[in-house]
Amino acid sequence: MSPGFSSAPLLRIALLAIAVVFFQIGVVSEVPLFGVSADLSPLLVAFVGLLCGSTVGAASGFAVGLLVDLALVQTLGVTSLTLTLVGYWAGRLRELRDPQAALTPLLVGAAASGGAMIFYSIVQFLLGVDAPVSLELVRQIVLGVVVDTIVALPMWALVRRSLIGGLPDDPRRRRRRAYTTGGLSPLSRS
Amino acid sequence: MHDKTVRRRRAVLALLVVLSLILLSAYFGEASGGGLHSVQRGFLTVVSPIQNGANKALKPVRDMIGWFGDTLHAKGQRDELRKQVDRLRRQLVADESEKHGYHELLALYGLDKQLSISDYHPVAATVVAKSPNVWYSTVTIDKGESSGVHVNDPVINDEGLIGKVAQVASDGAQVTLITDSSVGVSARIGASGATGIVQPKVGDPNDLLLQYLPANARANRGEYVVTSGTVASPDDSLYPPDIPIGQVTSINEESAYRSVNVHPLADLHNLDVVQVLTAAQGSLPSNVSRLAASLPAGSHPEATASGEQLASTGGGK
Repeated sequence: MSPGFSSAPLLRIALLAIAVVFFQIGVVSEVPLFGVSADLSPLLVAFVGLLCGSTVGAASGFAVGLLVDLALVQTLGVTSLTLTLVGYWAGRLRELRDPQAALTPLLVGAAASGGAMIFYSIVQFLLGVDAPVSLELVRQIVLGVVVDTIVALPMWALVRRSLIGGLPDDPRRRRRRAYTTGGLSPLSRS
Repeated sequence: MHDKTVRRRRAVLALLVVLSLILLSAYFGEASGGGLHSVQRGFLTVVSPIQNGANKALKPVRDMIGWFGDTLHAKGQRDELRKQVDRLRRQLVADESEKHGYHELLALYGLDKQLSISDYHPVAATVVAKSPNVWYSTVTIDKGESSGVHVNDPVINDEGLIGKVAQVASDGAQVTLITDSSVGVSARIGASGATGIVQPKVGDPNDLLLQYLPANARANRGEYVVTSGTVASPDDSLYPPDIPIGQVTSINEESAYRSVNVHPLADLHNLDVVQVLTAAQGSLPSNVSRLAASLPAGSHPEATASGEQLASTGGGK
């Protein structure tokens, strides 16, 4: 767990994860866009990682993946493994780069979605699932990334709104602190 | 402190990855009645009512989103269906055209049998161009010299006489319609047998005039005018006898020769399939025609009797 992380945000993350997974199963998966359905779970995990760090990101990825595998009666562990890596990667991105650009959620969402889909496909192939590597698969992945990118911003707003305030190191607070403690403020530098 | 954090982070990641791999391997390796499968089924049993409840609760949301999707899909379908309608309409028009052509061919076949047209070696041709002016006095057909078509060959369709070949190329020919002022057809009124020359009426290219009828010739409205099987001059076309030309619409008695107005039976505005009677030239009837033309004046009783230069009797049968 990240330093200074209390149990309150964990509870929020858990509730958010359950709500999102059920919303995914009950609604989103039944509403195709461009012939594919959006997959909210990689977005959720990536944004949790982006806001809470790598450890919480990886843990939430594992939990969300397990929930998805259990609820959809899939091979246990595949989605957990995939989303663990997605959450960890997003958390490390925050810890190393701390991106603040407005397009960050879009890019992170697209990368998380694409990475998750490709990794998931590779694992499925390794497990011997009988499916041809075809242009259709590539098309599905590309369209899936596009659709996930479209829903990335609302998803980011939802996750941020749900977790903001309970975060150990809220990016807004962190920026505010950085500007007021001297050294990092553009005003103080000038 | 930093090392500890890094170590802990890596340990958590490693633990979760290993846990996932263990889960994956165990689940994948066990039978469907195994422990993990049972856990999954148990979870499903517990979660199913919640899922059902959530499903019902979220149905309006799903429906609303679906409505947007359906609307977009319906628009796409509408556009697709419009294209399909256009395509089918074009196909229908083509089919109708083919059907029309088929009926014309059937009628031509019927006319063939009725008039023994086959003796004249008929060549079926399709009208490929019509004269662009309002007079419709010429059409172009897709058969020419290579099919045995010659200048002056008579052209008919299922309704009756159309005209004659005016110019011929290797794979096409120009047909002058009977409404053209240059055409004159020896004809007779079906019931009375009075003969004359059918020519277009001046000022009304869609109407014909049967002229030079004997003064005592009887004609009634509605009577059919058919080809007489004679030629008006040696260079003219020898139309086989009894080909329908038109119907008498009115009788004029002003001049010394009686004449009647004739409405053509063939719809000359909508020609599609026609037949060219290729044996009319160089065949027995035209040989008779040339022979008659070469006879000295006075030896041909009809020519002197009617004053119409009627040269020979047609038929050749």
